Amino acid sequence: MKKKMLSVLLCSVMAASLLAGCGSSSSSEDSTSDGSSSSSSDTYTMAFVSKSAGNPYNEKEAEGFQEIVEAEGYECIIQHPEEATAEAQITVINSLISQGVDSITVAANDENALQSVLEEAMAAGIQVSCMDSKTNADSRAVFVNQAGITEIGQTLMDAVYDITGGSGQFAILSATSQATNQNAWIEAMQEVMDSDSKYADLELVEIAYGDDESQKSTDQTQALLSKYPDLKLICAPTTVGINAAAKVLQDEGSSVKLTGLGLPSEMAEYIGDDDEHSCPYMFLWNPEELGELAAYTAIALVNGDITGAEGETFTAGDTEYTITDAGDGGTEIILGPPFEFNEDNIDEWKDVY
Amino acid sequence: MAGKSGRTISNVPEKSWRKTLLSWEGILVIVFIAVCIFCMTISPYFTVANVFREMPKYLTEIFLMLPMAYILILGEIDISVGSTVCLAATMACMASNAQTPFVVTIIVSLLVGTLCGLVNGLILTNFTELPPMIVTLSTQIIYRGIAEIALGSGGSVVLSDTAGFKAIGQKLGIIPYIFFLVVILAVIFTVILAKTTFGRSVYAIGSNRLAAYYAGIPVQKYRLIIYTITGLMAGLAGLFMVSVTYGANTTTGDGFEMDAIAMAVFGGISSTGGKGSLIGGIISGFVIIFLRIGLGQINMNSQLILLIIGVLLILAVMLPNIMSRIQAKRKTASVK
Repeated sequence: MKKKMLSVLLCSVMAASLLAGCGSSSSSEDSTSDGSSSSSSDTYTMAFVSKSAGNPYNEKEAEGFQEIVEAEGYECIIQHPEEATAEAQITVINSLISQGVDSITVAANDENALQSVLEEAMAAGIQVSCMDSKTNADSRAVFVNQAGITEIGQTLMDAVYDITGGSGQFAILSATSQATNQNAWIEAMQEVMDSDSKYADLELVEIAYGDDESQKSTDQTQALLSKYPDLKLICAPTTVGINAAAKVLQDEGSSVKLTGLGLPSEMAEYIGDDDEHSCPYMFLWNPEELGELAAYTAIALVNGDITGAEGETFTAGDTEYTITDAGDGGTEIILGPPFEFNEDNIDEWKDVY
Repeated sequence: MAGKSGRTISNVPEKSWRKTLLSWEGILVIVFIAVCIFCMTISPYFTVANVFREMPKYLTEIFLMLPMAYILILGEIDISVGSTVCLAATMACMASNAQTPFVVTIIVSLLVGTLCGLVNGLILTNFTELPPMIVTLSTQIIYRGIAEIALGSGGSVVLSDTAGFKAIGQKLGIIPYIFFLVVILAVIFTVILAKTTFGRSVYAIGSNRLAAYYAGIPVQKYRLIIYTITGLMAGLAGLFMVSVTYGANTTTGDGFEMDAIAMAVFGGISSTGGKGSLIGGIISGFVIIFLRIGLGQINMNSQLILLIIGVLLILAVMLPNIMSRIQAKRKTASVK
């Protein structure tokens, strides 16, 4: 009996609070629209959703993004999801839709899983673009690409060829198995390998996944070393992976060499063309510049300067960029070719980012 | 420790209104209202429409919390449900991509979930000395492993035809279908636990399994049923996860088991068994969901949100113990 009364009480309280929510929500909506019209009637809000927190590369992108957005006089929201999963990003994007932001720029953890939430965002009038790691063509206006996929595949394969001397075993240490950019680059590397007979003596023994976690990448590196005693080189196209691998190789005094994509500040002590250093040279673009370009893109989209269609041009800072076909049914903007870091220039770059 | 917390169900008779309000569920209702008011104050976007729009992803965790409450009251735990969600979602996507009618996709998802639960249940009831934590840890790894093998090197599967899943992700007005389903299931699970012989037997088994056995309760049969139902619910959660992500990948459902356990424990359901009610679990589930939505809307750092929920959880577990200690002190003082 009492139990029944308790449940009746609960139901009525829940219903009451829902109703209260209805009532006050309309009033609070009024108050915000008043507030925003007075303080920020023509100020747009640009949101950036990174892959996960604690990733220095993502944080540099976010910094570049924030700098430009604020310099241009707009509001900026930077959000790092709780985990490097698409589900965590969905939560964040849902919240941004509720807040009625004007643009969302996302570095996607999964190419397709964000489609439903991003379509909802676009239906709500939000300009959606992605950077660094793309979403599928249906869920974006345009993709801000750090470098053409084939350019990276070619650059990395050339490095592998050069460091190994053109023959022997090498392995790839990637991030997660569904990271879109990683998979595209690795695929491009494999295509380059198949396309030219000069790579015939090179053998890709394994693609290991360190999930962009330092400990797991370390474990995977050690596993590669024990599994393949003849291994000559590890190519890690991920900043977390290359850093973990560099530490393992250098600490163990291994003869296995390393190249890939890494942050100069984290990799400075491992770069050098001798036996004491594990990484002769590596590549990266400037993530801050990528963030800046993404910010200019978001601003251009919100202002209606571009719609994301192929052939449109716009100016970011002093440079003019053209939107090109991305080859996946959508369009992209390419930042430029990757930049080589070696023992000659690492000292000047390690303090930059 | 046991029985003094005010969270027991045994003190049903002669409960005054004051006691009802001071019971764990009563406190939770107050907390729930406080959280609603708090979220509405901090975020101007915390409107009914927005909350319902953001809710579906979290509601899939309520699916898991409902049977998890039964398992916790049994004094056991099932940490394989997150992986079951992943496997069911993967298989549902594959069935859908094989151009089967949507009904078949639904059946596949529910069947895969049920099978996973059944395997857990069969192992645990046939080898009763095995600890559920270890058995479900193993099956957690196995189920996700199977999903990863099925997903292949790309690690994800994409729906080629999203129509069916779009349909179940629809809303009636502003309320998503999944919310109605959660309400219906919540009522069923709550009534069964509180009002039926089966429900009372669950408490009896959780309090003292041997005594329950000697009292003629078919302990192993009931455990098998509960673990199987848990799998079924995980299959349902998997189905709705696909309607949110239009696909499945190796991280689908990752950590769901812990979120479900957290909701239940915060709702006053004791992980040592025999105590708690589903009403508490359901209210606390919504407290956690609303907090996450509200704090998310003011763009609070997501790690900080997790931290706040963690602190709330440990407080919720400690509070009854602290209160019973204070009561005990008072009693000894008054005796003197």
